[in-house]
Amino acid sequence: MKHGLRFENVAVAGVGMVRFGMFKDTPSAHLAREAGLLALHDAGLTLADVDEAFVGYIQPASMLGIKAMKEFGLTGLPVTHIENASATGLVAFREAAWAVSSGRADVAMALCFDKFTDMVGGGGRGAGRDQIDAPILPAAYFALWAQRRMHERGTTPEHFATIAAKNWNYGAKCPTAHRQSDHVVTAQEVLSARMVAEPLTTMMCCPPDDGAACIIVAREDFVRSRQPGRPLVRVLASALMSETYSPGHTFVGPVVGPSTMTRDTALECYEAAGIGPEDVSVAYCHDAFVNEELEYYELLGFCPEGDGEKLVVEGETGPGGRIPFNTDGGLLARGHPGGPTGVAMLHEAVLQLRGEAEGRQVEDARVALMHLVGGGSIATVNLLGVERS
Amino acid sequence: MARVPIEEGFFRIPDDPAEQPRLLGSRCVACGEVFFPRRLVCAKCLHEGTEDTELSPHGTIHTWTYCHVPLFGKKDADVAGYGVAQVDLPEGPRVQSILSGGRDEFAIGMTVEIDLETLGQNAQGDEVVIYRFRPASGGSAA
Repeated sequence: MKHGLRFENVAVAGVGMVRFGMFKDTPSAHLAREAGLLALHDAGLTLADVDEAFVGYIQPASMLGIKAMKEFGLTGLPVTHIENASATGLVAFREAAWAVSSGRADVAMALCFDKFTDMVGGGGRGAGRDQIDAPILPAAYFALWAQRRMHERGTTPEHFATIAAKNWNYGAKCPTAHRQSDHVVTAQEVLSARMVAEPLTTMMCCPPDDGAACIIVAREDFVRSRQPGRPLVRVLASALMSETYSPGHTFVGPVVGPSTMTRDTALECYEAAGIGPEDVSVAYCHDAFVNEELEYYELLGFCPEGDGEKLVVEGETGPGGRIPFNTDGGLLARGHPGGPTGVAMLHEAVLQLRGEAEGRQVEDARVALMHLVGGGSIATVNLLGVERS
Repeated sequence: MARVPIEEGFFRIPDDPAEQPRLLGSRCVACGEVFFPRRLVCAKCLHEGTEDTELSPHGTIHTWTYCHVPLFGKKDADVAGYGVAQVDLPEGPRVQSILSGGRDEFAIGMTVEIDLETLGQNAQGDEVVIYRFRPASGGSAA
């Protein structure tokens, strides 16, 4: 069975997002409205041009998406709600791109939002988990993965702290990032922060966030005719998988241990696109807990297994490196509201491919990779390319 | 005072407090793969039909961490933190669990045994308990 989709004739028409942060007094529909209008303005469109919409969020109330869509008008367009935990945003985007590539829509929108401040007290982000694992801190599951790697590979907390410092410093250069440090963050500062779950300190874990982000995709000829002279960002491929069984699978609690899921999903996506990791200029991954980024260097194919630490030490995933990762600060610094996280990745990737990522631009960025896991048990990998006139 | 599980169907609380609690698992009647918690369809061979089995009270730490915050759901947090581990049971399942003991008492590869932790009281005044693992008697973190 093939899990990768190759998209033909799909391009990005527009992107928009609100800076992630805590917006206790702003209704989620208003956050969504701001992000959606920014995307519509970026695309030069109104809702009248949009044939289909996919809305995504994690927070547990039904039909909030249609409420948010009404902020742009009521045109009768089909609206579908999408939820895949942290991977929600990329999956909503995947559905929008698929709607266009299938020919049923000329223009499709993925609009995602979430308010962590509304979730606190209502069971929080862990709502719906089995009661049996509810007492365990989410960070602990990822710390278990980090501890096992340290045992097997000799990875040190300094390696993790170096990645975290890199993402904090990228975040400071990205106007839509939540965490914007007023000074250069060092690995030492990251290590000195309060310990959460060993070896992860607070500065190695993503913050709670509210936010919204939107991407509009359309047929290539439509985008070309509406946006002459602008670099054409094309949607190349998308893959989505869940886990395959292997002995030692933990059925209670999120599964975050060494998993082939991300590797399998990436292979499917590369194959669908007809390219390999060597063709990727910039990458975005699920770095809610910073040790994940190290694992994904290997699982996404950017270095052989066990060489991730070498990439860190040599600075290959930072500014000027061979394969910069999370140039907007990642989940760690840009923030991780949930639903909109994947669309924020796409927002940054589109800016990079257009050459508009001021202060953090990757030189000659041609292909971007976006990866997320959802609930530890879903993985999605997506590829964007650019055609410059 | 009666002891009740935080959620039914995951572990058995013995009537005799001196007896060890047991995790409740399933064995596939077709391929023999063992799972925790209980399930109807085998995740390995997809056969529909498993039999209940009580799992070993002992296991080996695959990986572990120490959380420097009080345990969720614990009303009177008398300790500043708690350990969490993935424990490999001899029948095959890997179980994620709270650890009972200080941060210097554990190491990857050491043997641990199951135990119960009281989280608090429910409205009926019963003690709500969850399973946890502690260093096996005679074992050490060395």
